[in-house]
Amino acid sequence: MKSPALSAKDVRAGYGEADVLRGISFDLHAGEVLGVIGPNGCGKSTLVRALTGLLNLRGGSVEIGGRNLVALGARERARLCAVQPQTEAPVFDFDVRHFVLLGRHARRSLLGWAGSADRTAVENALACADLRGLAERSVRELSAGEWQRALLARALVQETPVLMLDEPVAHLDPGHRHEVHVMLRDLARNQDKAILCVSHDLNLAAEFSDRLMVMEDGAVRALGTSDEVMTDEILQEVFRCPSLRAAANPFTGRPGVFFAS
Amino acid sequence: MKHCPRIVLIGAGVIAVISAALCIGPTDLLDVRKLWDLVTGATRTAELERAALVLWELRLPRVLLAAAAGVNLALAGLLLQSIFRNPLAEPYLLGLSSGGALGAVAALAAGATVTIWPALAGSLAVAAIVVLLCRKRIAADLPSLLLAGVALGALAQAFTTALVLQFDPGAMRSILFWLMGSFAGRGWPEVWMLIPAALVGCVLVMLLHRPLDIIALGGESAHHLGVRVRALQLAGIALAAVLAALTVATCGTIGFVGLMAPHLARIMVGPSHAASAPAAAMVGAGLTVVSDLAARTLLARTELPVGVVTGALGCVFFLALLLRKR
Repeated sequence: MKSPALSAKDVRAGYGEADVLRGISFDLHAGEVLGVIGPNGCGKSTLVRALTGLLNLRGGSVEIGGRNLVALGARERARLCAVQPQTEAPVFDFDVRHFVLLGRHARRSLLGWAGSADRTAVENALACADLRGLAERSVRELSAGEWQRALLARALVQETPVLMLDEPVAHLDPGHRHEVHVMLRDLARNQDKAILCVSHDLNLAAEFSDRLMVMEDGAVRALGTSDEVMTDEILQEVFRCPSLRAAANPFTGRPGVFFAS
Repeated sequence: MKHCPRIVLIGAGVIAVISAALCIGPTDLLDVRKLWDLVTGATRTAELERAALVLWELRLPRVLLAAAAGVNLALAGLLLQSIFRNPLAEPYLLGLSSGGALGAVAALAAGATVTIWPALAGSLAVAAIVVLLCRKRIAADLPSLLLAGVALGALAQAFTTALVLQFDPGAMRSILFWLMGSFAGRGWPEVWMLIPAALVGCVLVMLLHRPLDIIALGGESAHHLGVRVRALQLAGIALAAVLAALTVATCGTIGFVGLMAPHLARIMVGPSHAASAPAAAMVGAGLTVVSDLAARTLLARTELPVGVVTGALGCVFFLALLLRKR
């Protein structure tokens, strides 16, 4: 079997005295979309920070493409793993095209001008994120949803085998939410990318993920296909909400989440 | 690069300003034939000898010093604004200028006649203390770094004021004049100190133009895009500290240039450092040269400290910016 694109073994990390992640282990394979769900404060964003080296590990290890995260240089890491972070508000008036082009940093020499490969990648990413019409606009003039798509385009333009997204559709309308998730699934299928997607939209996560990881208090509560983990018992316990019910989507047959009262 | 024509235009404007500043003064050099004779050395008269002395020994070093100071302050401001993601950051705000002033005044109080090295030590000491105070948290918490700079700057200013009051009134006047910034009485040694610093600063900022664009997006984004955030922050703050410290040490504290020049540059050529760094450097040079020209010609018999002129310019500039935004 092929080695995983990303492998986390007993990952522990946190802020101050407290451990937020208490031993997380999982593998993410090329061509797979792994949805990460869980209640507020369970450590989903901290997991993304730990997996990308933004937060030092207190224990365990992370391997990306078979290489230990700690041994990777900054530019090397950015060529292996791209991240769409949660919103970091823009301060300066970069236009959207230049903003997305900055995502190519790790693939360009320090002084080199953008080559044709860079420009093509930028145009493709702008098209994927439905931003071609806004390419000349200042990033400070974008709506929350447009800004989120610009962040997504910047991650796509890195052309990495691993892609991590921290709530990529939180500010998007239903049409764009669906579009982004279809695109992520296609990227995994057609380009063999390994995608980790943190989401609060349980229905979209269940619909478009190959596997789901349910987190609770900094640990993995359940990991498996959506049918395996989207059960009444797990949902009600993890989200502390007795009204939650899992039922099949009448159109696709995949599990969805509903409120019984 | 789409902003090339504008950068060339700014460059032409700065050359025009520098030429005007060389020609205008008590000894009028606005005479093409006189200038031609001066440069070629074809004819020699007593008047021409005097004009040559004014040009080579007084005006040229003064104008070059003003231009280099402007470049240094503009680059220091640009670096700090990008690293702190704060359009209001400048050398003053980090306490760098106040530290330099304290160093110089303390040296004078101790009886020293040379102020350059003590001022340099003062600025760098403040920068070092600020960075050390926040060493462990520098990537995570930039606002606390700024606050530490503001606090240390205020402390340095308090000590400076206390020291200045110990001098007799005559000395106090010249120290206050120095504190407000001035290019008067400086010569080629100061020019040879600031111009290499300005050139090295320009080269380093241009080499780092893309990482600086990226760090201006935020520390987390910069990390994900492959920038060594902490190293770049430390290098940028250190470079800004050296540029500001050398300027304060040679010319005193000249406010607002480090704030205005990057703003004006971004308005003219956008925020990308490949364009805004050269533009800010040139705008900074133009601003200080114009301010110095005004400082030495506005009043008939006396000279104003250049910091007074840049302060007034800064006030007008930011009020205009506010009105434009409304």
